[in-house]
Amino acid sequence: MGCNCSENKKWECSDSSIDIALLEPELAKHAGSPINLIKVLQKAQELYGYLPLDLIVYISSALGVKPAKALGVVTFYTQFKTKPVGKHLILLCRGTACHVNGASGIEEAVSEYLGVSEGDITPNGLFSYNNVACLGCCSLSPVMMIDNKAYGNLTKDSAVKILKEIEMREASLCG
Amino acid sequence: MNEIKLTINGIQATGQQGQTILDIAKEHGIEIPTLCHDDRTEIYGSCGICVVEAEGNPKLLRACSTMAADGMSINTNSDRVIQSRKAALELLLSDHSGDCRPPCAKACPAETDCQGYVGLIANGEYKEALKLIKEKVPFPASIGRVCPHPCEDACRRELVEEPVAIAAMKKFVGDIDLLEEAANTPPIAPATGKRAAVVGGGPGGLTAAYFLRLNGHEVTVYDAMPLMGGMLRYGIPEYRLPKAVLQKEIDAIESLGIKFCNSVRVGADISLKELQDQNDAVIVAVGAWSSISLGCPGEELGGVIGGIEFLRGIDINSKSLAGMNVAVVGGGNTAMDACRTAVRLGAANVYNIYRRTKNEMPAEEIEIRQAEEEGVIFKNLTNPIEVLGKDGTAQAVRLQHMELGEPDASGRRSPVPIQGSEETLAIDMAIMALGQRLNGIGLQELELTRGGTILADEHTFATSVEGVFAVGDATNQGADIAISAIGEGKRAAEMVGLYLKGMKLGHSSEFLSSTEKTAEDFLDRQKQQRVSAHERDAGVRSRDFAEIDLPMPEQEAKNEAFRCLECGCRDYFECKLIDYANRYNVEPDKYRGLVNHNPKKDEHPFIVRDPDKCILCGLCVRVCDEVIGATALGFVDRGFVTSVKPALGADLADAGCIACGLCAQMCPTGALTERQMIAKQVPLAEEYTEGACDKCPIECKMKIAVKGSLKLRALPAKEGGLLCYKGKFGFAGNAGELESLKVPAGIQQSLLEKIAKANGYDGPMPEN
Amino acid sequence: MRITVGEGSCGVAAGATEIYSLLEQGIKAFGIDCMLTVTGCIGMCYLEPIVNVTLSDGQLATYVRVSAEAVGEILKLLCNEENNAEQYLIAQQDQENLDAQQRIALQNCGIIDPENIDEYLDAQGYQAIKKCITELTPEQVIDEMQASGLGGRGGAGFPTWFKWQSARGSEGDKKYMICNADEGDPGAFMDRAVIEGDPHQLIEGIMIGAYAIGSDEGIVYVRAEYPLAIVRLELAIIQARERGILGENIFGTDFCFDLAIKAGAGAFVCGEETALIASLEGERGMPRLKPPYPAQKGFLKLPSNINNVETFANVPWIIRNGGSAFAAIGTEDSKGTKVFALTGKIAKGGLAEVPMGTTIREIVYGVGGGIRGGKAFKAVQMGGPSGGCIPAKLIDTMIDYRSLAATGAIMGSGGMVIMDESTCMVDMARFFIEFTCNESCGKCTHCRIGNRRMLEILERICNGEGQDGDIELLSALAEQVKDGSLCGLGQTSPNPVLTTLRYFRNEYEDHIYNKKCTARQCKPLLTYTVIDDLCIGCNLCAKRCPSGAITGELKKPYIIDNEKCIQCGKCAEVCKFAAVAVD
Repeated sequence: MGCNCSENKKWECSDSSIDIALLEPELAKHAGSPINLIKVLQKAQELYGYLPLDLIVYISSALGVKPAKALGVVTFYTQFKTKPVGKHLILLCRGTACHVNGASGIEEAVSEYLGVSEGDITPNGLFSYNNVACLGCCSLSPVMMIDNKAYGNLTKDSAVKILKEIEMREASLCG
Repeated sequence: MNEIKLTINGIQATGQQGQTILDIAKEHGIEIPTLCHDDRTEIYGSCGICVVEAEGNPKLLRACSTMAADGMSINTNSDRVIQSRKAALELLLSDHSGDCRPPCAKACPAETDCQGYVGLIANGEYKEALKLIKEKVPFPASIGRVCPHPCEDACRRELVEEPVAIAAMKKFVGDIDLLEEAANTPPIAPATGKRAAVVGGGPGGLTAAYFLRLNGHEVTVYDAMPLMGGMLRYGIPEYRLPKAVLQKEIDAIESLGIKFCNSVRVGADISLKELQDQNDAVIVAVGAWSSISLGCPGEELGGVIGGIEFLRGIDINSKSLAGMNVAVVGGGNTAMDACRTAVRLGAANVYNIYRRTKNEMPAEEIEIRQAEEEGVIFKNLTNPIEVLGKDGTAQAVRLQHMELGEPDASGRRSPVPIQGSEETLAIDMAIMALGQRLNGIGLQELELTRGGTILADEHTFATSVEGVFAVGDATNQGADIAISAIGEGKRAAEMVGLYLKGMKLGHSSEFLSSTEKTAEDFLDRQKQQRVSAHERDAGVRSRDFAEIDLPMPEQEAKNEAFRCLECGCRDYFECKLIDYANRYNVEPDKYRGLVNHNPKKDEHPFIVRDPDKCILCGLCVRVCDEVIGATALGFVDRGFVTSVKPALGADLADAGCIACGLCAQMCPTGALTERQMIAKQVPLAEEYTEGACDKCPIECKMKIAVKGSLKLRALPAKEGGLLCYKGKFGFAGNAGELESLKVPAGIQQSLLEKIAKANGYDGPMPEN
Repeated sequence: MRITVGEGSCGVAAGATEIYSLLEQGIKAFGIDCMLTVTGCIGMCYLEPIVNVTLSDGQLATYVRVSAEAVGEILKLLCNEENNAEQYLIAQQDQENLDAQQRIALQNCGIIDPENIDEYLDAQGYQAIKKCITELTPEQVIDEMQASGLGGRGGAGFPTWFKWQSARGSEGDKKYMICNADEGDPGAFMDRAVIEGDPHQLIEGIMIGAYAIGSDEGIVYVRAEYPLAIVRLELAIIQARERGILGENIFGTDFCFDLAIKAGAGAFVCGEETALIASLEGERGMPRLKPPYPAQKGFLKLPSNINNVETFANVPWIIRNGGSAFAAIGTEDSKGTKVFALTGKIAKGGLAEVPMGTTIREIVYGVGGGIRGGKAFKAVQMGGPSGGCIPAKLIDTMIDYRSLAATGAIMGSGGMVIMDESTCMVDMARFFIEFTCNESCGKCTHCRIGNRRMLEILERICNGEGQDGDIELLSALAEQVKDGSLCGLGQTSPNPVLTTLRYFRNEYEDHIYNKKCTARQCKPLLTYTVIDDLCIGCNLCAKRCPSGAITGELKKPYIIDNEKCIQCGKCAEVCKFAAVAVD
């Protein structure tokens, strides 16, 4: 790390798809400010979808946070992902109202349809599927949120239909 | 400062405003247990052990973080407090996995610290190994030879290839003791003025006498036989345990000032009542000296003799069996001893008669193999149905042929007769070695079990008669192996000690954490064959009574000792968790459930991590961050799966660790330990000497943990002091490893400055 | 003419965005002269999407469950064409239920456009803060709060004025006013509705508090799962700054105040004050020991005051109408109104703001319209994972802090999850403990391991592996966790277990001793049988059975082999003839 020759060279992430220049303004804004760690991590994840380990180290050194603490923060909050996520993020609500109204069935249907279990990404990289505590749309339970859009009053069939629609949209995009 | 007054457990206490309950209690000598608090770090309050009750407050308070207030009335030991602490400990233990003690030591009926002495042998510290054994067993050389070693059955090295030759290790150091002018014996406690009698000078009785004496009591041992040793002398042949070896160890016991009275049969020559009158306590350890008979016709014939009686006769008056055919009935060790003794006495043919196959024989494999090598003819799957004789003398034995039937409930296949299939074997002598029973003459005062043995409490060894205790083969379940009698002898001596002090006899079994391991867990170990004993050639040894095994060369013994997998926790002797667990009589089994497992990491030259033992007190994380500033460790994840890991999942050595060792020093369990600066790691109760570091001009004063000539680790001389990595790990001359360490210079420098300040050093600061 | 579309998260989830754009297109296409805006959630989530049309004569028409067809009808109406819009009008009963509520915190929700500060200003917005800083001393503000009797709406009901006073009394030049919008209780969404529907009211409440304690900087900690709330609040802050309502010398006075948003990152425990502060500081959200209290040493070790969203939302009203007016509502120990989120097996789920002291029955059978599908009310879960289940026999319990505490539940933040006969109470307890296990920060022993062990016991009971002694073990452990945990999360986490044990012990016993789940929720305890009379022998169940437990001949009743059955329930689910009986 202390090598002088690299001083002028731009830092590069192990994931070459990550363009650190996009984050630099945020880093510059919060340089040396440990209290903004979560904010910067959120920004980074918004930009890149996930937080590779060396990016966390890079961010932590820019903010003056010890790497051990940064990893502690990243792994504490469920929002942060250390592995690449799918193009579409499915958040299935497991709140009380959803539970009472049959969220387990939706969970079964979604994971059966996608062929992955909770917390995983589909092999084609299209979907990441996570359960969340509560989305706060309880009156429409059961609910899931895909890419910040909530879908309510789900049934097993309607949940699968929503996924299929996204797949079809993606397929048409690819031509 | 404002002084405040409060009461703690009814005691008036004073403190300053801003002090915690824990601090004030400590200043008044009242201990409040805690696992996560240390004055060096900020208050954290995670473990939940330090809870106390304050009058008028419905909640339990954490003493570590609650500021004391004037007029408080604190109870640190109420029922509710104790239940809460117990629950916290039980919960912690339900997610804590490791082996407080190694399986070998736990399997030993005498609780011998096998891993301890094997480890000391590996480090060449023989005298300390011997001392460790003698904390439990007064005859290492003898027991090392004859013990069927349950320790080895439990040894996990079996999962790699074969168990460590633990018994041979014991023999190895036991023999070194025999060479000494005077045997190594622990010091004797000041005289108590109490007298105890021990009836029976076998392994159990002599062990009881030994420990009673070490505790300062006057002890007399009575034995019906002319010499002490019991079954070790009269039941075990010379070729397995030379009488000279046994005698030397008995002499060492006698030399402690124990009075021996031989050829005195209690019950005939002197009554139990008389012994009780002359002594403050009596321990009965008379053994089981009669053979069980088979109950077949012809057993009364001349030439038919019990196994025990046969072996006992050998010592007193061995006569040649030249040209005779001898049948030994039974499949246990005594049967093998009888067979092989008969061979050595010149018998023409020695038959072993056993109704199952060799696989089912209770005798040890090695005994069976050696007997076979020496020419014993195994007549397996035969059962004597009659001894035939003429003129009152046995001439032949009729054998029923057997076969193995269906497995019974225990899974053992029981033998069933093959109808009409018999044979008759011509013999001159039949030895019935089917087991032992008690010869209870003279002990009518004592209540017996239905099996005819003396009824003694399993834990306190108390008999039906006040002040009389009983151990060994003569009690309860009857005959067992010598090491069981030795274990009982020691524990009975402790009970008698309590009894003599007028204390209540009580027993609580120690709680110990243990884990299950499989071969999978040891795939990374290199296979290294178990050392084989140097046996004399069968053709030669079967003609004399000289010992079968030749001594083991030192290097072999050391190599063998290195095979130990070090199962037992290094931290056992210092672990706060296990200490509290036993103080609060935990029963964590009820909370059995999912247990976190994280790989044991061993990458650091000086710090050993075992995350499975972590209780998340966070002391390591906090001290590394708050005191040292290295922040090499951090919390990862949350909730039940939270763990402590080196920064960013790297190896600890690469995570910015400066190897000050403070984390390991503060860890209340064995999750973080300092590597001992010796060749083989071994859990030991440490002793300390003073020392000073010579690595830099600050010359930190240190406390060096030692065992014999071994220097194990260095600690700062002052409680709560600091050492740098050179002081901490550099005392043993391991420069190479020290240099390999990547120590971040800035943090190291600031630590040195702290150390210099704490030591009042104002000279030039040393180069890192 | 003004048309509003309810676009709270619930409205959006029900398709309000599409409705909005259809209306937008139509208005453009037909050249209709009207203003189209969004509003927040009015609280009648079961009727979403909702469109309000205020005609030029001031008459208001509310259209509910608006579909594309309905939009067409409404557009026709707007063009004065013949239409069928009437059939989409809100039912009278529903309107009455809405009118019967007493709205303070929600007064503007669903009415004004949350993205337009002018609409808030028109509704007396920012008058209260102006009054405070131009007419009242901070002490007078605190006095007014004391007079109102407002208690913290986050759950504990701690007097707001007291908190403010101690923060005011703390030494220090720099103080922080923090808003806890980390609404994490599953089944609660009152705060979300307030931020999405009326963000300025929240800002104003925070400003009044800041003035009272002497703070010039505020932070709103919003949970990450509320993206829309964050967007609306950000917009509101920008607009307030543009109008000089936030910033330096507000309303020409010395009072300076600005507000920032910090988004949470997914940790329920951050709703706990000290964990929230740790999170604001960029650390793991692990609770810290109290004392020191945040009022003395809070964010960045500086005096800080933390209140919940709903608490702040009440403040402007109190200042405008006087503390005594607020105190006149509610009961002796619980003043004012409370917003509840009605969910679960309720017919009319949504938000309801009612005076304290209303009974559970009044809410469930009034605003809530009773149980969905006409089933029997079994219990209400109040207070989320920290709360408890109140059984049907206590349905007349008044909703105030004291009465609820007596039942073993708590007021909590306002989530009311209604349960009917098909809810298994053991499963409910398991659900909540699982939630706590997922959300425990892992710091202290009792919460980290104790909850996990409770979950394991509950899981085995639900799986039909419950043992004699489990109930005793569970309740003893629950008491220990309550006693030994460090923060509120752990101390209250056993409440769902303890209350279900108290009121529904028979269900536990049924699971353990009779291996029976009367609510038919615990699958491993169910048996599936084909009802011969109903089965037409279509073979669908046999095809879908993953364990090959169903056999039979086409067109004849099939048979389920209970030995092979793994109780997955697929057969009952796929059967179109309800021929699979579950027991």
